[in-house]
Amino acid sequence: MEFERFFKFSQLLLRDEFVLSYSGYVSEDILEAVGDTLRQRLENHARDGRQIRNVFSIFVELMQNIIRYGVDGPQPGPADSEKPSFGIVMVSENNGTMDVIAGNFVSNDEAAMLQQKMAFLRDKTREELRGLYRQQLRDTPDGRSKGASLGLIEIARRSTLPINFEFTRTSDDLSFFMIRATV
Amino acid sequence: MSDFSLQATSRTPAIHLNTADMTLVISGESYPEDVRQFYTTINEQLAVYFTTKPERLDVAIKLTYFNSGSARALMELLDQLDEAAEKGVKIIVNWYCDPDDDITREFAEDIAADIRATSVNILDLDGDPD
Repeated sequence: MEFERFFKFSQLLLRDEFVLSYSGYVSEDILEAVGDTLRQRLENHARDGRQIRNVFSIFVELMQNIIRYGVDGPQPGPADSEKPSFGIVMVSENNGTMDVIAGNFVSNDEAAMLQQKMAFLRDKTREELRGLYRQQLRDTPDGRSKGASLGLIEIARRSTLPINFEFTRTSDDLSFFMIRATV
Repeated sequence: MSDFSLQATSRTPAIHLNTADMTLVISGESYPEDVRQFYTTINEQLAVYFTTKPERLDVAIKLTYFNSGSARALMELLDQLDEAAEKGVKIIVNWYCDPDDDITREFAEDIAADIRATSVNILDLDGDPD
């Protein structure tokens, strides 16, 4: 990479109050390693134990979401038989609140389904989310069922503001899915 | 049957099933890489315990964090306990929740509302001497 591009990248990262960011292939091992680092950072940045728990919890669900539903990006990945999921997760602090943002590639078919699930969850009240969670617990264990997956509901419940999301189509096959929760 | 114990790891809780005391304690954090595999082991041990026709089982859940996958596994565990309770085993679940974790407390309340023969007490995690 040219220094000029690298410099732009660093400047973007340094602009806000970053607690942590990770980009690359996401696996359970990465989730654990980055999660441990996140917890240590949160000890210094977070308001209280409640904020630490909610940020960490959202982080875990987002990472597992990427592992489960994400796909390899447009760049050539490792030649393993199992395609890894490429993703970006960022935790930033802003006047006492924390944003947890994740982005990953999904197939356009998956994007269409996710879009529906996310729109459905976005406007739900706390009590409605609680009811949905309870209902989904008893539903089919497959996250791809028609209802919103348990992980997404968990994220919505632990976010103090309604979750935000956006999809950007990057090719005929892929979209980039972005989701933001605030604690 | 002999006792069953698993030490806690960074992603899995400690499990202690003491057959003489008739107690089961689940403590720590739960976001296993393979949730199903981890909890199936516990379900199997409990199934063996219940074949010994025990009089009772006192369960303590002291989880400081669990992910949504573990939530489903916990619900299934509570269902298993409730089935045994319906067959006559006296089962009490003391579920210790962090006082500032509303969502876990609500989860425990919702689980408690769904099961019939088991009594579930929801308590503060900090208030327990252990």
